[in-house]
Amino acid sequence: MASVELKNIVKRYKSQTVLDDLSLTVADGETLVLFGPSGAGKTVLLRLVAGVIDPDEGRILIGGEDMTDVDAEFRGVGMAFQNFALFPHMSAFENIATPLEAKRSSHGAIKGGVDSVAKLLKIGHVLSHKPRALSNGQKQRTALARALVGSPPVLLLDDPLRNVDAKLRFEMRLELPRLLADRGATVIYVTQDYKEAMALGDRIAVMSQGVIRQLGTPEQIYREPANIEIARLFGDPTINLLDVKPQRDARGIYVGLSNVQVHLAGAPEAAIGRDCVIGLRPETLHFVAESEPGAIPVTVEAETPLNEKIVTLVRTVRGREILVSRPSGTPGQSGGKAHLAVNAKSALLFDHASGERIGSKNIVSLRNGEAA
Amino acid sequence: MEHTSLLERVLRGIALTLVVVFFMFPIVWIFMMSFQTNEMILRIPPQLVFEPTLANYTALITGKLQTAAGTLDIAFMRNLWNSIFLSVTSVAVALLLGVPAAYAFARHKFRGSEDIAFTLLSFRFAPALLVLLPLTLYFQKLGLANTYFGLIWVYQLICLPLILWIVRGYFEDIPADIEYAYRIAGHSWFATFRKIALPLAGPGIAAAGLLAFIFAWNNFVFALVLASADKQPVTVGALAFITSSGIQYGQISAAIVLSITPTLALALYAQRYLVEGLSLGAVKG
Amino acid sequence: MHRAKPSGFRISKRVLPYLLSLPALLVCIGILIPFLTSVVYSFQRYRLSQPWARQFNWGDNYISFFTDPKFWNTLEISLLYAGITVGLELLLGLGIAMLLQKRSSLNNFISIMLLMPLMTAPALAALMWKLMTNPGFGVLSYLASLIGLQDFRWASSPSTALLTVVLVDIWVYTPFIMILLLAGLRSLPTQPFEAAALDGVPRSFVFFRITLPMLTPYILTATLFRLLDSIQQFDIIYAMTQGGPGDTLTVFQVEAYLNFFQSTNVGRSAALMIILWAITYFLSNIFIKNWLRLRERARGQA
Repeated sequence: MASVELKNIVKRYKSQTVLDDLSLTVADGETLVLFGPSGAGKTVLLRLVAGVIDPDEGRILIGGEDMTDVDAEFRGVGMAFQNFALFPHMSAFENIATPLEAKRSSHGAIKGGVDSVAKLLKIGHVLSHKPRALSNGQKQRTALARALVGSPPVLLLDDPLRNVDAKLRFEMRLELPRLLADRGATVIYVTQDYKEAMALGDRIAVMSQGVIRQLGTPEQIYREPANIEIARLFGDPTINLLDVKPQRDARGIYVGLSNVQVHLAGAPEAAIGRDCVIGLRPETLHFVAESEPGAIPVTVEAETPLNEKIVTLVRTVRGREILVSRPSGTPGQSGGKAHLAVNAKSALLFDHASGERIGSKNIVSLRNGEAA
Repeated sequence: MEHTSLLERVLRGIALTLVVVFFMFPIVWIFMMSFQTNEMILRIPPQLVFEPTLANYTALITGKLQTAAGTLDIAFMRNLWNSIFLSVTSVAVALLLGVPAAYAFARHKFRGSEDIAFTLLSFRFAPALLVLLPLTLYFQKLGLANTYFGLIWVYQLICLPLILWIVRGYFEDIPADIEYAYRIAGHSWFATFRKIALPLAGPGIAAAGLLAFIFAWNNFVFALVLASADKQPVTVGALAFITSSGIQYGQISAAIVLSITPTLALALYAQRYLVEGLSLGAVKG
Repeated sequence: MHRAKPSGFRISKRVLPYLLSLPALLVCIGILIPFLTSVVYSFQRYRLSQPWARQFNWGDNYISFFTDPKFWNTLEISLLYAGITVGLELLLGLGIAMLLQKRSSLNNFISIMLLMPLMTAPALAALMWKLMTNPGFGVLSYLASLIGLQDFRWASSPSTALLTVVLVDIWVYTPFIMILLLAGLRSLPTQPFEAAALDGVPRSFVFFRITLPMLTPYILTATLFRLLDSIQQFDIIYAMTQGGPGDTLTVFQVEAYLNFFQSTNVGRSAALMIILWAITYFLSNIFIKNWLRLRERARGQA
């Protein structure tokens, strides 16, 4: 009923192309996260959907209707801004009430609507305050309440947790998915925080330089990143990247790591003999006994406990640093010599020159908005 | 800076005193003269202590001046009224025309917007008579000569650039997102302009209006060229008054006091915004 | 869906900004028409007293200026007036601004008081000074006689007329420069000054090497602003002496005014104005560049 479709959108500012022939479909009721560094064009894309700026080329459809030339007030979207964009001369109540006023709702209906959404977001007690008297967290909730109150079929959330403190961000990251699911709205959510993206998105679109580089479920983005850049952006600690040149022997494709041949079952044929980068997620590496086949000898340099996990920095024989992560409370190595085993299935191979993952299929068709 | 010697502080004090005396003395002196009779004024040496009289003001306000030679009519109240009417109306018109334009220039950068804005600004610095002299000929043909309408139209030359450039700055200071948020909430651009942009730029608009009023009030050359006696504001009227009333110095002083009081009062009231207004928004006070 | 369909009277997004600025555009056009008319007049032989003899004489009005001592007098006195007033006002304004630089309630009070001359209509200010310099009872004439200047005739004597109007100009406009420079001084970062004070750098060095360079954009803007106004001065001179005595003070605008209304020589008057316009156009182009830079900076601070 309120899917959002972008068809071949181009947006330029002066000579700079901010969005380059971008197409994207968000299904009704789906939460799509736009993820990427600042300047990738995420916010511009949201504003195009909201109708406050116009594309230079392309069409925007909401609920199947062409909305490209329709003014913002008629598009039926709600939006929360990164900097909150509260009206400084109005109380929190008046701020939240603006979408209902636009619909010419009765006083009773406005009061009821504002109160219920304020209760949901736990800001009932500050409704009479002006924005400058609100804490950042309260501002953020007021902005969210204003976006939600009119029950718009499409919700646009522009990095709403960016400007709130860590504790609140953590709480909201837990709260928001349920809140959004209850609404049943189609949501486009912009963030620069990969954890937020993973927690909230039904699908994630990874953007950079005005182009969607990969579109997929959080699982897909994490397990099958389209390129090195995306692999690096998702995951904490960051993925280990090592230069390798895969070879083939009787047992299949292997790479040499610290003079140890590590066989990669299911690695693409295309990688053989090419200069590659192998990506190893820290949590897919394990300390093993020296006798284990394919065990790589390393020296443990440092160990850092991070609440739920322990991160170990090790150095290979060739002097390359590798991060290993394991759940807290599991046995590991805290110093001296050790050996690592690689989970061959989860190893990722990237082309050294282009950075593209070898064997990834979904990247080419993305431009047409088709998810892999 | 902290190691100020006694000598330096004394010198600074003397310098400041001289500055204050030089700049305040004429106003104080005229103010005193306005409460003196002609005989007191003509006394030499000038007196600092005297018995104040309100006769000058009563003569101005009633419009009748009793002299030895008989009763003289003074049209000064008419000038005062003209000044008020012309300034208030001109500012109102300039706000009506200028504020929406300032909003358009600030928010919707469109082709030619900068050109219009700069053309208006450059006329702020063009010689007034360059435009005024041909206008007198046009006004005579159009029947606009010596009409309030024509004068108010010409006063836009002073008021409009001022309002346009100051108010534009205030609109630019409002984050665009705030206005976007209101549009997205379902309101038309006009509602957004009225409920968001206008209230938030309110103090700036008020300040620009007050400044435009002061400049309109203080203008001399427009009315000198385009208005005859019954439409003249105080600036031109006072000059004519001196020529016609000859030696009624007390009344002239009182007229000057009445003429400068409104702008001085407004300036004190709006002084926070004066720096910005005087520099057309280039310097913030 | 409950979405309201666009309906009824709606203004297209593209037309809207033009519609909003239309009045300003009309005023622009309304000013451009008389301006262009002036250009046309300046190329005509045109006297209001002899309308039948009106015809294009092309550059004659301008060419005759070369051999016209009255024109050279006008140019000279205009430049002299602008140069003297702006120069003195700049020195005085800078001095006063530095005296008042420290934020204290007394300094703030004085700076507000000093605004009063600036808010006085220049024409009325001229009248005030005319009363004070009246040879019969003027307090300044009396003070002049006290210091031995018997029969000092101020604006009525050709030798002191310029001095008198310059004095009035200084009285009115010094506060303008003072208040801009004061705002500039107070907006300067404090670190360089603190560092210089710690290092025991002489104050003259601080003034010439730190204060002045940092204040330059403000000084430039204030100076050009004043120069643009001063070279066009009309109100003070006309209200004080009407260009006299004789042609001592016939600056551009006064001369053009007298040409138009007394000699009814529209062509010459228009040509004079075009020359003045060319001067101010040149100055205002420099000015606007500076002013824009300063304005960007002020907006950035907001």
